[in-house]
Amino acid sequence: MQLALSEDQTQVLDFIDSLTRPYASLPMHDASLVLESADFDAALVESGFLDVMAVEELGPVTAALVVEKLARLPFAIEAAASAMVRPLIDPALPRPLCLVAEGRIGGPVRFLRPGASVVVVGPSGVRSFTADAGMIAAAQEDTLYAYPVAFLTGLPDGMTSHDVDAAEVLRAWRVAAAAEAAGLLGAALATTVAYVSDRKQFGRPLATFQGMRHRLAEDQVITNSVHWLALRAAGTGDRGDAALALLHAQEAAKRVCYDYHQFLGGMGMTLEHPLHLWTYRLKLLTAELGGRGEQGLAAAEALWG
Amino acid sequence: MQFEWTPEQDAFRHKIRDFLHANLPDDWEKFSEHGPASPALTAFAREFCVKLAEAGILFPHWPVEMGGEGLGPWEQQILAEEMWIAGEPRGGQYMNVNWIGPTLQKYGTQEQKARYLEPITKGQSLWCQGFSEPDAGSDLAALRTRAELRDGNYVINGQKIWTSYAGLADTCFLLTRTSDDRKKGITIILVPMDTPGITVRQIPSLIGEGDIHEVFFDDVTVPETARFGDEGQAWEIVAYSLRNERLGIPRFTLARAALDRAVAMLQGEGRFTREYVRIEAARCAALCEAAATANYSVVQKRVDGLSIGAESSSARYATVMAERAVCEFVIEFLPQALAGASPYLKMHHQRGIVAGVAAGSAEIQLNIIASDVLELPREPR
Repeated sequence: MQLALSEDQTQVLDFIDSLTRPYASLPMHDASLVLESADFDAALVESGFLDVMAVEELGPVTAALVVEKLARLPFAIEAAASAMVRPLIDPALPRPLCLVAEGRIGGPVRFLRPGASVVVVGPSGVRSFTADAGMIAAAQEDTLYAYPVAFLTGLPDGMTSHDVDAAEVLRAWRVAAAAEAAGLLGAALATTVAYVSDRKQFGRPLATFQGMRHRLAEDQVITNSVHWLALRAAGTGDRGDAALALLHAQEAAKRVCYDYHQFLGGMGMTLEHPLHLWTYRLKLLTAELGGRGEQGLAAAEALWG
Repeated sequence: MQFEWTPEQDAFRHKIRDFLHANLPDDWEKFSEHGPASPALTAFAREFCVKLAEAGILFPHWPVEMGGEGLGPWEQQILAEEMWIAGEPRGGQYMNVNWIGPTLQKYGTQEQKARYLEPITKGQSLWCQGFSEPDAGSDLAALRTRAELRDGNYVINGQKIWTSYAGLADTCFLLTRTSDDRKKGITIILVPMDTPGITVRQIPSLIGEGDIHEVFFDDVTVPETARFGDEGQAWEIVAYSLRNERLGIPRFTLARAALDRAVAMLQGEGRFTREYVRIEAARCAALCEAAATANYSVVQKRVDGLSIGAESSSARYATVMAERAVCEFVIEFLPQALAGASPYLKMHHQRGIVAGVAAGSAEIQLNIIASDVLELPREPR
């Protein structure tokens, strides 16, 4: 057991801090439902941070740390699937990578656009194709999620089969989603704490009221443990750990998204405050891979048969 | 980062398991229902801890200069986990090796170390913690038990309540008031429990026989040398010892073991097939493992020689959440467990429900997290 960051990991995270600095705050006067940056995406690919999993001295825990860190940004970046799942399938698959569960292709697909690699995972194995405009239905323009989403209209006949265990890809997918959720949870907590520490009602900051302090403290406890469970699942490569990590992350997301919008009151209903950029990614992640129930069943199977 | 135990740590864990297997009686599970503070378990622990001492696993995590092997915080964690999963056969003596010994070493006088450390290392002493009072529970700094210095002696008057182990303890780690300056007016006195003027009354409880007491102090007189640290230094010393105490009991391991036991019972009855039961069990497991990793992250800080702050409160609250979930799971799906069908699950329940109360209430942990982890502006006083 050794839970401190290695020197290499500290260095990677410091580099990411420098890389993301221009993107850590919101563009002035922007009040979008979703924020994306092609420039940042290109800089990220260029930096090689999405490829750390394959580097022997870095590995999956560092990849999870990278994913978590990137998720804290107000910008939605396709990092989790590329950094943590793609290396298992084919490191050369073009980004963005869209993971879709077989039999569940009707839902909104994150980052789906022409040219994206769609990976279908399920009982038939792991298959992929490059999306073109003909198989994509755009979401409504005012879709509330803070991810860019679109719908698949169907699957093409000729998909590329990958020689990889679907269960193993599912495992990595769960860990990647949990790591991303950990970052979103951390950023959503931080922005909420800043707001309620500043906003005064009844002559004092909202954060001085115990009704709010205790709930925020509980939110810190679960946010912290989502972080650790995600890293542990990345480190052990265990299927039970992966399912528990995403289960816990989805439980946490459900709870804090309610709390934080509640604490921000009227401001939390507007696009003037950026809270939704994290919570409306978290909300969609609560549906990832069938939601909490599916992760619970997967965990129970792995733990107790 | 490395989330697996090293081969040496695994070997240490197996050494403890082997010892427990060889030295716990066949009816141990039923026996441990008595509770850690019961006369039966206290008497058992006095023999068992001697054997642990002889085998070198009573306090192997203590530094070499204290007679330990200097094994370090991970080994202390492993030792505590294995003992707690087994139903804590050390009884109240776990406190000795977790925090009383190290606190004595750090703050005690030569005379106090000479008097109290040796019985601890021989597995022969039992302490109680005279902290809470009828009007000073979570608001510990409101305590009123008075110690007055008269002619070289402290004369103590007052009352403590909900005191574990008081019925059979040799010595009380007693918080007293020596001046009216709230936290700065509190002083620790080490009081032999056979001193005249001490009356102990057991309070019937949900958590096992002999666990909770009222302790009355009527003109209890001890020499000034019984003072531990300086007058007014108690708050600093208690903060130090409680940080050890909060990490000291790895309750999440017993919660996880109880969950596994409950699942095995449900499987035995063919009832672990319903999806909602399986999902609920997984939710409990996630909370147990969440607590484990949160606690381990704090242990790591200790390994790295960093000071432990409010993150131990966060880890402790994660444990409270896990305990609550498992206790509720067992009652919902195996109600018979608390009515005789499973001594182990009943034992877990009785220890689990204390998680949010002992060593500082869960709500106090939330206050600490709010102020010191989240750094929220403080509540007006």
